[in-house]
Amino acid sequence: MSTGGVDSRRVVFSWVMLAPFLVLFLVFVVYPLIQSAFLAANQTFGPGTRTFVGTKNFELLISDPVFWKAIRNTFIYALGSLFVQLPIAFLLALALNSPKLRGRGIYRLIFFSPQLMGLVFVSILGALAFEKRAGLINQALDAAGINDLLVWVTGNDAWLEPDWLQQHVMATLILISLWLYVGFNMIYFLAALQSVDKSLLEAAEIDGAGPWGKLRHVIFPSVKPVATFVILLSMIGSLQLFELPYILLESSGGPDNKGLTIVMYLYQNGFDLGDLGFASAIGWVLALILIGLALVQVKLTRAQEVNA
Amino acid sequence: MHRITNTILALRGLSSGVWVIATLFVISLILVLVRQPEQEGDLQFWVFSPEHAEMYAPLIEEHDASHGVKLDMTVMSIAAIQSRMMSGFFGGLPTADLIEVEKAVAPQAFMGPVDAIGFHDLTDLLLEEGLLTQLNEPSLSPWSVDGRVFGLPHDVHPVMLAYRADITEAAGIDLTLAETWEEYFRMLRPLMEDKDNDARPDHTPLSFWYTNQDLIETLMLQGDGQLFTPSGQPVIANERNAFLLATIVSWCVGPDRVAIDINEWSASGHQEKVDGLAIGYIAPDWMCSIWKMHVPGLEGKLKLMPLPAFEPGGRRTSVRGGTMLGIPKTTQQFDRAWDYAKLLYTSPEVARQLYREVDIISPVRSLWDDPVYNEPDPYFMNQRKGRMYIELAPEIPLRPSSPYNKQAAIDVRDAALNLAEYANRNSVYNAEDLIPEAIRLLDRVQARVEQRMSRNAFAAEDLAAGDGEAQ
Repeated sequence: MSTGGVDSRRVVFSWVMLAPFLVLFLVFVVYPLIQSAFLAANQTFGPGTRTFVGTKNFELLISDPVFWKAIRNTFIYALGSLFVQLPIAFLLALALNSPKLRGRGIYRLIFFSPQLMGLVFVSILGALAFEKRAGLINQALDAAGINDLLVWVTGNDAWLEPDWLQQHVMATLILISLWLYVGFNMIYFLAALQSVDKSLLEAAEIDGAGPWGKLRHVIFPSVKPVATFVILLSMIGSLQLFELPYILLESSGGPDNKGLTIVMYLYQNGFDLGDLGFASAIGWVLALILIGLALVQVKLTRAQEVNA
Repeated sequence: MHRITNTILALRGLSSGVWVIATLFVISLILVLVRQPEQEGDLQFWVFSPEHAEMYAPLIEEHDASHGVKLDMTVMSIAAIQSRMMSGFFGGLPTADLIEVEKAVAPQAFMGPVDAIGFHDLTDLLLEEGLLTQLNEPSLSPWSVDGRVFGLPHDVHPVMLAYRADITEAAGIDLTLAETWEEYFRMLRPLMEDKDNDARPDHTPLSFWYTNQDLIETLMLQGDGQLFTPSGQPVIANERNAFLLATIVSWCVGPDRVAIDINEWSASGHQEKVDGLAIGYIAPDWMCSIWKMHVPGLEGKLKLMPLPAFEPGGRRTSVRGGTMLGIPKTTQQFDRAWDYAKLLYTSPEVARQLYREVDIISPVRSLWDDPVYNEPDPYFMNQRKGRMYIELAPEIPLRPSSPYNKQAAIDVRDAALNLAEYANRNSVYNAEDLIPEAIRLLDRVQARVEQRMSRNAFAAEDLAAGDGEAQ
């Protein structure tokens, strides 16, 4: 009887301890989620105006070319992260994991430091670096004669002074994000590399494996779980891209919406046009994409566990 | 006794993490409870400009002391005001008693039916107190919906052309004789040589580019371009807009282009201004103080003149930017808020300081006789620039307050970009030859805006009403 009493008190105590989180979770996650689902079936236009439209917002979304452009841009950025940012981060981690390299700590700090500066600061510096005439990038390309080479190859005078943020928006966003995120992802890969079983590497070496053999048969399989996690994290972050283009493109989607992302389109509709219903519908589509990605990750992780 | 022992045993079993959390909870609770809340004023006022706040502070202090009221002024960013104001309006929650709203944000507050707008309708009050006739009429348009005024205008923001008089006068060119853009560009053609052989003219007549949305809007307004009717219907695809778009894009394309893209805000842009890369700059009154602050090296080298017109006899000015003061409906003290609004926006002291500190002209016409506006400005070669701006103030074009205007202006900017790409791709650089393509692109913009509006059940009613009117 007394044991039961202790247990029930423990249960009550557990709920009391959980209560602050639960209250916040209910107020700031569950309620907005339900409210946004309700809003997605409504149309709003300023305060006090709401009308039920059922699935119309989703139908309009599917037929909206600007939304598809936002999806395309967002996936281009996500693919850029996947195929450019993460390989560079991995290569850097490999280099910094080498015991032969001196001053590794300093390099780690240098590569990670853009994260410490913050996204807004990096965006502003990025905008300065990619300025048309005085920007560091164009000055460097000019000094190296690359601009002239590009003009000669493409026959297009625009390469003399490329306007990165007007003509090559997504490429510029990917390049600036490299600066910001490569160091961040590198830390994950570095941690994974440092936990690779040394005895496996020694065994591979004894079996005659070269650097590529060790990389392929020991290091890759060892860092695979972390890589899967980093890929998922990177994809989710990329699909939620907002601040970087918002700052760089001065709160618009850039020329001809070349830099419009899904979340920016959501923001435009919700806060510039006051159509919170349509914005909620965009939010739900994005949520479904993210849930899909998370499911793929769960499946991959389970498959790895089974194989292991 | 047994229960107490059991409780102690249960607590002893808790991890140290739980104890850390519990301790932090208790400490925070104590700190929150013992903290003395700051003394709040009777009214709240949100301002986005620290310069404005600095000007208002002494007047507010004086008014507070003589009336036994306290107005709390909070400076916050435009984005913060936007999100707080809109959250308040959408959620029906209290905001401030007075809010200073920037032009780009205000239309969002005007969404929906007129009676659902979050600000008080000031029209009747302005009429009763004779203020409506005292204010520069076109300056009311961005803050008006269906003929009702929802904010007190802070400024006029007429636009002139600031030009490098040191360079033009040294070359013997009297730009004041240029009445149209065509004449202006023709007069400056001799300065476009490339003496330093850097593959670009030493001086380009105008700082403007087809990607600068604000400047496109400014020039299109100057030329009587119109995106929306006063009642909110989109009229983007029209011949006048196509002519204007084709004209301004033609300035930026081809081997003989007469415009250059100089960043208006960056350090490199300021350096390029000093270097004289461009001769002319489109300059609203507020831009003068920006230049004085960021490009002091140009003091005594610039002059102002009315904008050259698109056609002989055409409008010689435009408008760019703006601010209003609104009183949200949630205020409990409307009368006091209105007193403050009048004090801050119609007092001669503030108007004088507004001009002296940030070169902004007051929209109150009765204050235009103030001698401060006649003072010569050494930055602009001792021109009486205040008087020059005032002479143009009544001519500024009307602007729409449609919540769809911002996106429509972005779409027009995209049309300009597409038109420039078309021009470069097809080597078509003449404005007249670009008009058919401009019409096609503006048709697309019109369709996009209409689609956006028709998506909204409420705006669609306006759209349908517009169709009815058109028929």
